[in-house]
Amino acid sequence: MTTTHRIGLTLLAALPGLLHAQFDFTVAGRDVQIHSFFSQGFGYSNGNNYLTMDTSQGSFAMTDGGINASVRLTDKLRIGAQVYDRNFGKLGDWHPELDWGYADYRFADWFGVRGGRVKTALGLYNDTQDQDFLRVFALLPQSVYPTDLRDATIAHNGGDVYGNIGLQKAGSFSYTLFAGQRKDTPYGGYIYMLQPVGIDYKDYGGLQYGADLRWTTPLKGLLLGASHMRGDITGTGTWTYSNAIFGGTGFTTVPTQETTKSETTSQLYAQFTIGNLTVDSEYRRYWRDHMIFDNMFEVTTDTRAWYIAASYRLSKRWAVGSYYSRFTDVYGDPPTPIPTNTSGPDHHLYDKVATLRCDLAKFWNVKIEGHFMDGYGSPGMYPDGFYTSDNPQGLKPKTNLLIVRTGFNF
Amino acid sequence: MKRLQHLVIATALCSFAVVSVRAADIKVIANPSVGASSVSADELKGVFLATKTSLSDGSHVEPVLLKSGPAHEAFVKQYLGKTDAALETYYRSLVFTGKGSMPKALASDAEMVGYVAKTKGAIGYVSAGTAIEGVKPIEVK
Repeated sequence: MTTTHRIGLTLLAALPGLLHAQFDFTVAGRDVQIHSFFSQGFGYSNGNNYLTMDTSQGSFAMTDGGINASVRLTDKLRIGAQVYDRNFGKLGDWHPELDWGYADYRFADWFGVRGGRVKTALGLYNDTQDQDFLRVFALLPQSVYPTDLRDATIAHNGGDVYGNIGLQKAGSFSYTLFAGQRKDTPYGGYIYMLQPVGIDYKDYGGLQYGADLRWTTPLKGLLLGASHMRGDITGTGTWTYSNAIFGGTGFTTVPTQETTKSETTSQLYAQFTIGNLTVDSEYRRYWRDHMIFDNMFEVTTDTRAWYIAASYRLSKRWAVGSYYSRFTDVYGDPPTPIPTNTSGPDHHLYDKVATLRCDLAKFWNVKIEGHFMDGYGSPGMYPDGFYTSDNPQGLKPKTNLLIVRTGFNF
Repeated sequence: MKRLQHLVIATALCSFAVVSVRAADIKVIANPSVGASSVSADELKGVFLATKTSLSDGSHVEPVLLKSGPAHEAFVKQYLGKTDAALETYYRSLVFTGKGSMPKALASDAEMVGYVAKTKGAIGYVSAGTAIEGVKPIEVK
């Protein structure tokens, strides 16, 4: 079934390339553009299984792709939509979804609106995190862009107000204000993380709103930005527990719910490009205070992450890159103060990465990437690639991971 | 040995010829429907990076690219501050997030002139020596 899915997705994504002459076509005098992408990866680790894949044995369960169509109806109005499908270990699980689909009306360069399902502007790469062909790296720094939590940030069903303002000698400034409903699929990392303890959320989401501000500075190649997002999230589903905890036998299933008291994501970022060199750095803090088990317990989670990355294009064909990514997570049960010690492997994940990218053609690339990870974050509290259910033998403090990934886009 | 020296010198001269294409060697052109006769460098950059869809006189404009060549490389580097690969990546990031479209890209100066001449609002560029009948030259200030 998986092979069938993979072949089907490949053919679908290849369609615009196969129909190269026709993939931009005209309907009622309007140019319709169709674009697609596909990628296939292989992961092999020396110890812990990573990102729900069986990487310790070598895993090809790293496939994704998408196809989109868009058309400009008037000088100011554009519409379009993209379908995306992925299978990363158990994430995505071959369930295609509407990635984005909206109408965009630009009244003026400094003021436009989008409505529908809209990609969320959060930091440098949140909205393009699925398109690895845009970067040298096979995996974005997972500290700031955890692929397990893609559902939590990728898009909202609502709208954006956006614009770009020229500042003359001071560069230019662009803004995006957004609000809408977040709706997680049942195939994301958070829901997956809770399933081994008997919690099965059928519905997870809620209101999300925030802003992204970025300044293209007068210093050539330097971009600075900040994003902030708040959420009011509710999860509803069932909790199945063993009756043995009450001295009985068998299992009982009851409805359960968790609700957010406070949830914020704050991000600061900078990017500097000079010639073929790009240097990025971002900091993200995610804070959540939520009630679990139908308001029985309150839990706060404080994750802080940052990375610094550099990539360099050596030639038309070759590029290299490296990053250092750092993630810490602490949690507590108010009013008890949250502990601050993150020295244990169960409270941090530091990742040193080196990548070689080869562009075999304009539309086809291959990447080889090495990850050298210290720690495994907080399995059971915050999805960060490592899950106890995927590592029943117990998690080891260090993991080395090799990723080979190839993909095409048209 | 002499042949090798000649080859090295010829290669160096060719490289110089390629990299020495400068803004002065490029003409920015537009469809006659575009009201403005001049644009600022910032405006031009905004148009080609899809942050601007109109010029200061209110004319709606649509950027058109050359697929490759010295004029294209020089335009992208000098007016947009990017390499060709970086520009391609930039457009693809817009296309795959739904925040923009891929501009029309044409294979030659002659195709560019022909397309700009017949397409309302089109703005493009060609090598300085190109005949530009049917389009209007745009001065970059």
